Amino acid sequence: MYVYRIVLFLVFGGYLLSPLLMNGWGNPDIAWYRPFLIWGSLIALTIWLEQKRKLDER
Amino acid sequence: MNVEPIPLNASLLLFLGIGYLALLFVCGAAAERGWIPVRLLRHPVIYTLALGVYASAWAFYGSLELAAHAGLGYLAYYLGAAGAFLLAPVLLVPIQRITRTYQLASLADLFAFRFRSRWVGTLVTLVSLLAVLPLLGIQVKALGDGIDVLTASHQGSGIALVFCLMIAAFAVFFGARHSDQHARHDTLLATIALESIVKLTAILVVGGVALWGVFDGPQHVQHWLANDGQALQEQTPKLEAAQWRTFLLLFFAAAFLMPHLFHITFAEGLSRQTLLQASWTLPLFLLLMALPVPVIWWAAQSRAEMPIALPAYAIYMVSEHSGVLVLAFIGGLAAASGTMIIIALALSGMVLNHIVLVARPPEARTDLYGWLRWLRRALIIGVIISGWLFYQSVSHQPDLSTLGLAAFVGMAQCLPGMLALLYWPGANRNGVITGLLVGTGIWLWGLWLPLFIDLPLPSLPFTPLTPADAPLWYQITLLSLSVNILLLICVSLFSRTSDGEKSAAEACSVDAVIRSKRMPLKAVTVTDFTLHLAQALGDEAAGREVDRALKALNLDSQERRPYALRRLRDRIQANLSGLMGPSVARDIVDRYLPYRHDELPATDDIHFVESRLEAYRSRLTGLARELDGLRRHHRQTLAYLPVGLCVFGDDGELLMWNNALTELSGINGDSVIGSRLDSLPPPWSTLLGKALHSASSPLYKEPAHLHGQDYFLTLHTAQLSGYDSRGGSVVLIEDHSEMKRLEDELVHAARLASIGQLAAGVAHEIGNPITGISSLAQNLRYDTEDPALLETADHIQQLTQRVTRIVNTLVGFAHGGHQALPMPCEPVSLSVISEDALNLVYLARSNDDVRFFNTCPDDIVVCGDGQRLTQVIVNLLNNARDACQPDGQVQMSAGISEQRAWWQVRDDGSGIDPSISDRLFEPFTTTKPAGKGTGLGLSLAYQIISEHQGRIDVASPPPGHTCGTAITLWLPLYPQDDVKPYAQNSDC
Repeated sequence: MYVYRIVLFLVFGGYLLSPLLMNGWGNPDIAWYRPFLIWGSLIALTIWLEQKRKLDER
Repeated sequence: MNVEPIPLNASLLLFLGIGYLALLFVCGAAAERGWIPVRLLRHPVIYTLALGVYASAWAFYGSLELAAHAGLGYLAYYLGAAGAFLLAPVLLVPIQRITRTYQLASLADLFAFRFRSRWVGTLVTLVSLLAVLPLLGIQVKALGDGIDVLTASHQGSGIALVFCLMIAAFAVFFGARHSDQHARHDTLLATIALESIVKLTAILVVGGVALWGVFDGPQHVQHWLANDGQALQEQTPKLEAAQWRTFLLLFFAAAFLMPHLFHITFAEGLSRQTLLQASWTLPLFLLLMALPVPVIWWAAQSRAEMPIALPAYAIYMVSEHSGVLVLAFIGGLAAASGTMIIIALALSGMVLNHIVLVARPPEARTDLYGWLRWLRRALIIGVIISGWLFYQSVSHQPDLSTLGLAAFVGMAQCLPGMLALLYWPGANRNGVITGLLVGTGIWLWGLWLPLFIDLPLPSLPFTPLTPADAPLWYQITLLSLSVNILLLICVSLFSRTSDGEKSAAEACSVDAVIRSKRMPLKAVTVTDFTLHLAQALGDEAAGREVDRALKALNLDSQERRPYALRRLRDRIQANLSGLMGPSVARDIVDRYLPYRHDELPATDDIHFVESRLEAYRSRLTGLARELDGLRRHHRQTLAYLPVGLCVFGDDGELLMWNNALTELSGINGDSVIGSRLDSLPPPWSTLLGKALHSASSPLYKEPAHLHGQDYFLTLHTAQLSGYDSRGGSVVLIEDHSEMKRLEDELVHAARLASIGQLAAGVAHEIGNPITGISSLAQNLRYDTEDPALLETADHIQQLTQRVTRIVNTLVGFAHGGHQALPMPCEPVSLSVISEDALNLVYLARSNDDVRFFNTCPDDIVVCGDGQRLTQVIVNLLNNARDACQPDGQVQMSAGISEQRAWWQVRDDGSGIDPSISDRLFEPFTTTKPAGKGTGLGLSLAYQIISEHQGRIDVASPPPGHTCGTAITLWLPLYPQDDVKPYAQNSDC
């Protein structure tokens, strides 16, 4: 259940903060691929949470 | 710089497109014929790639257009779906549980099931149809317009029609083989997975060409954005935060509400694990699809001399190389065709179940399955052709975004209903229908109809709350969803919810409290099921459906247990739901397999609730998990109770049968739980019925014949009552057979003790006359010299001595079973005493025809009391003689083995009665007629041989013989330096 709470927190937190992404478009001070790096990090976090969930359910 | 693509030949594109679609047919055929291993076909990666069907032509072309119009706003399409799958454990898994349990193949099925209304199903189908048409139109438009751009001609529409027909043929061949919509389509999934690989490869390759062909790598892109490209990017409008969030919400909803996504996620049999795994695999796939989009757009911008007119097709402006162009075209075709195939399959099922079958139910058709299959095929073709017609109707619309938003906002109208379905059991059909009708009406009026006709747009009620320059799609989305949600809540709160809806709400709710009722069915056998169902489905289909349900539940066709029949009914309803939708399935089952409404109130189906709790155990969390742990502990306590236990409901249905009772009865609990009391196998129905009817007092030591043996059972019964009790009775069954045996033995021992005392008294009284007779015989020897009289006197003395010994033995037995005197250890020749014993037996023989043979060797000498051993062998010989027929034989033999002497008496008589074989050596055990035997012979023999440190083996019949008995005595040998062996002389 704690894993699910983290997932809920991630999704709704991301939903609220995601408009900040818009500032990255065409901004030379921000690497153009930064949104994808953040996205990739979230996927890595999800993989870790998924492994944790599997262990919890054993 | 000229960035217009070099025109390709239209025939070449047609040929390539046909070739690619033909490749799909080959791939499908290879999977169908088993050329691709099943392990690979059902690999989780295939499912993940099949979920990539989300990335339709919109992802290939529409994303570029959105990037041009909203910058990073294009990411909403990917991040919305990623968010939905990230929430798989709390959002998608509960939906999967419901759809799998009740065999629901579409969103309309789910709504119709939850809100117990065929109108809800029909309404959701119509909304889905209207919402998906623009999405289908996008797929065809992307193909047609793409061909127009690539060939610089207007042949795209015709070529797109050819592709549509081929795609429809593929969907019919590989997607409508089964009439059951919930059947697994491994072939189809494998093909869609292949399409995902093709489109991913295509966009990555084009992105790579843009990154390293047009630019010189990521750093060069950054450099271009900071210099030449900066002005262009500043011109790109940016989405407001609220609009971005609305975008996210729309794509979030689309990820599981769109018919094709719902179909792949819930109707194609993805395992729970695969779905949970998709919480990161699908976002990863979407990341790879989204990554090249801005690079491709910037590359096209960097190469263009003027603003790009059709940004959706900027992918064709990255390179002039025909290979890259063809790859981009094939990628787009793969994205469009996969989406069209699955949309056609999903929509055809929805239209069939919720429009066609509702309007025209199948009334006992002879070929029900064939009829359904052909209807479905026609609908698949119809859906795809309607997509092409839609494209024709909206060909004047230049951009894909308008079409896409019309589709996504329309589908989002089902989102409030879906969330209520999962998380608000109070929602009812009135609220859902009202909200959906009004929300859909606003959407149709604001976004859908304007695709075809110009409608005047009056001032929107919500406009004051939104910025004046907010786009129309944003205002329509907010207005339609707000009104939809508001009406759903208000109407649900102020209108009545039916009982059926309440029970379906419990079944669908995430925190479901499932209290299935135990109601009796009118059909009481499996045959009844087939007969009743045949009225609706026809004989063949009814038989097939019943067999299929029996097989799925692993039940026998002779099944009569009410619990099993209720499960069979549920399974048939679920299977029919997969075939014809939940509304029609429910109508058929309610009508032809109805419950019997007895006067007794329906009680909870505890066993069913428990089995479901067991199935969902790993998904329970927090307090529910703790409570379930306690439940399991109490259940185990009862299951492993070392006393038999069973529980009956008030209606006489068996609810529990623990392990001890399984062991005692030899009846597995799974085979009887759910039975009625009167259908339990004998003697349990009688025994337990008696216990239940005499609940106030226990039944002590009730005889029962189990496993060929007699048992004595004590049964205690208690009524289950009290606060929140579900009623019923619990019966404890104790096996008191051993106690009964011990009691009998005690009584027997007491009887033996009495007899022993009596025998001692009699022996004492007999002793005096016997002494007198012996003295008189002695006197007779002195008074005569007649040899005949002397011999008679000798015999009288021998016999009186024998009587004396017997009397002494009886006295000894009566005083504790031991000889009063210590046993002498004299050398005894078995040959000699065998001969003596034979002489004694001859004296009393009554049957001249039985022949005795003594083959004992002379050299076997044992240690013991010769007289007492003679007594043993005489008893054995007498028994052997009595057991033999008139011409029978009795053989005496002896030998040495294992440092001991064996001494055997074997006869060919009737053998030992098996009923007394266990107590052969007990006193007074005999099968001889009254007056013929005391039953003490073998008991004394056993006692004497035991005192000689020997043992007795009994074989009846002896090995290698079919009749008779062999009794073998084992005795210690006398040491070798012995003196003259004992021989019974005439004085003995």
